[in-house]
Amino acid sequence: MTTLTRQDLNFGQVVADILCEFLEVAIHLILYVREVYPSGIFQKRKKYNVPVQTTFCILPLNNYVEQSFAVLLEQNEAEKVVVVIMDKEHHPVERFVFEISQPPLLSISSETLLSHLEQLLRAVILKISVCDAVLDNNPPGCTFTVLVYTREAATRNMEKVQVIKDFPWIVADEQEVLMQEPRLIPLKTMTSDIVKMQLYVEERAHKSQPGTA
Amino acid sequence: MDELYLDNIDEYVNDQNKIVTYKWLSLTLGVHVNTAKQMLYHYLDQRRKERSGTTLHATYLVSGKCSENGSVCHKVSVVREDQLDDTKSKLDKTISVHVYSVQKAELKDSGPLYSTDYDAVKENLKNCNKYSTIRCAAAVPLSHTELQKVQEKVVEKEATKPSLNDHTAAAPKPSVKQPKGIMGMFSSKAAPKSEACNKEVKTEQKDEASPTEGPKSKVSSKANAMNNFFGKSADKKVTTDKPDKNIKEETEGAQSSSAAVSSKPSQSSSKSKQDIKEEQPKESKAVKDDSKDSRSKTKRLEHSDSEEERADSQKKKRRRIKKPQSDSSDDEVIPDSPPVPEVQTPSPGNEVKKEPVSHQEASEGRRRKRRRVLKARTFLDDEGCMVTEKGYESESYSESEDDSKTTSQPSGESNSLKQSLGKREEEKTKEKGQKKAPAAAAAANKSTKQSSIMGFFQKK
Repeated sequence: MTTLTRQDLNFGQVVADILCEFLEVAIHLILYVREVYPSGIFQKRKKYNVPVQTTFCILPLNNYVEQSFAVLLEQNEAEKVVVVIMDKEHHPVERFVFEISQPPLLSISSETLLSHLEQLLRAVILKISVCDAVLDNNPPGCTFTVLVYTREAATRNMEKVQVIKDFPWIVADEQEVLMQEPRLIPLKTMTSDIVKMQLYVEERAHKSQPGTA
Repeated sequence: MDELYLDNIDEYVNDQNKIVTYKWLSLTLGVHVNTAKQMLYHYLDQRRKERSGTTLHATYLVSGKCSENGSVCHKVSVVREDQLDDTKSKLDKTISVHVYSVQKAELKDSGPLYSTDYDAVKENLKNCNKYSTIRCAAAVPLSHTELQKVQEKVVEKEATKPSLNDHTAAAPKPSVKQPKGIMGMFSSKAAPKSEACNKEVKTEQKDEASPTEGPKSKVSSKANAMNNFFGKSADKKVTTDKPDKNIKEETEGAQSSSAAVSSKPSQSSSKSKQDIKEEQPKESKAVKDDSKDSRSKTKRLEHSDSEEERADSQKKKRRRIKKPQSDSSDDEVIPDSPPVPEVQTPSPGNEVKKEPVSHQEASEGRRRKRRRVLKARTFLDDEGCMVTEKGYESESYSESEDDSKTTSQPSGESNSLKQSLGKREEEKTKEKGQKKAPAAAAAANKSTKQSSIMGFFQKK
């Protein structure tokens, strides 16, 4: 039935929008907490009823982060979204991995679903805020990048859309993807009716030493 | 017994890596806030004496008198431990210092402190000051009569202010809307999740929805929100039902509760926040009650508007269908019904749609109107092949066609439900003067023979 799929797409789009917004906020917060950028460029905004640090005043950063997800989550084919923090030599130092999965039967039947979802997202945000208790400090001069793990078919689909969106995604270098001596630190798991998410951090054991490619 | 709390705090801080504020601790353990503060202090003291392995960070609340610009003021601030001595020295007289929170992480800003308390306070909204020492005997909820008086005052104010929205029906709208709007305005401060949620949920923002939600989510001060609210009070759907009753249990109407909130601004802002937070869990109840009670068209519109905001699929579907009906048959009713977000699932809407659709059919088939119909066009393409394409064309139709469509309606019900929802989403961006249901019915019934009979004759 064409109408069924249309509806499902819409629902999927809604979920994608929610996830998109959340990931955007989460990335800004990670950049703030891990001091990738100086804290002066961050402004407090309200999200999910709590203050969060965002970088709305720095335009290029915002565009990069927003466009990162807009196209991608629309198809809901992202299995993992990873924020990689790299040192000066472009070796990964930390990887914040968001594993996202959606249950096959999506339904928003509950009225309190969204408020519950907001509560869960708030908890994830809070966990990111205190993650520096379990992580070592990063060396200075770090940069960041965003990786997405999808299926092959998704990449081809995205290529069609990219031309329109004018924001090219490229296949990631192995150097950026693999990390030496990773340590896994789980941060938060979240389960709701419409999305399941797990956040953990892979950290390089010796951050101050240059990683061997 | 006295030592158990130390283990509790240890678990929260070290194992769960939580931020333990004194307020959160008092609500979690069920102790007086002063006891909680002492607990934190003892814990910190003990840990620091024992081992220097795990570094703990603490924030303190310092309050005292200081003179700024010649005037003496009472200053209360939450500071990190390293700034504690500095802050104390700046105050002329330090009145109180106590531990505000203990955590493992070194906090860079105060946002997480608020986050920590938010959920705990929200759950205990009615009695969040059970364990606190601040009391005010005069702080009691208003009675019903007093609420109404406040409402009337608000309505008078509202009438004098120019309405910014483009709804002509703003003035005739029942005063019921006003207090509800005010409620919504205050509730926007804590941004009733529903609004924040609705923002996320909505895939398309329309005139009425966006101005109300836009200012809401960004409201930084009550004054601004107040102005925005008054300007957009007619648009207020959001808050209409939300309000929450729950500020007082005894109020049965949303109006009374909203007025209660509006009377509260004089009280401490934290209290009003708590009130607002309390609304949220009850909003669903409020919606149900209101929607079932209302029968008038204007109310229906208002509820349909408000209900668009929430992810209540059932009501949304019902209201949405009724709206075009009232649009076409009642001129003074707002013509531009905001497009409804397509968040619902098909199944809950099915049963509800039965009745409104038949309603609509009956009342709408009276005039000659243009509508969009799925038609098949056959033509020869470049290669000389006959190609049949289905597309939407607007055509004018009259009563007789409607009747045939209504009879065939029940047969393709579940299909029509979903398809009409799908149609709605397509037509959202187009003008609303057209009837949606017949178009949907036409599309839905393409699978059945009856609707295509008329289409067949017209095609030629």
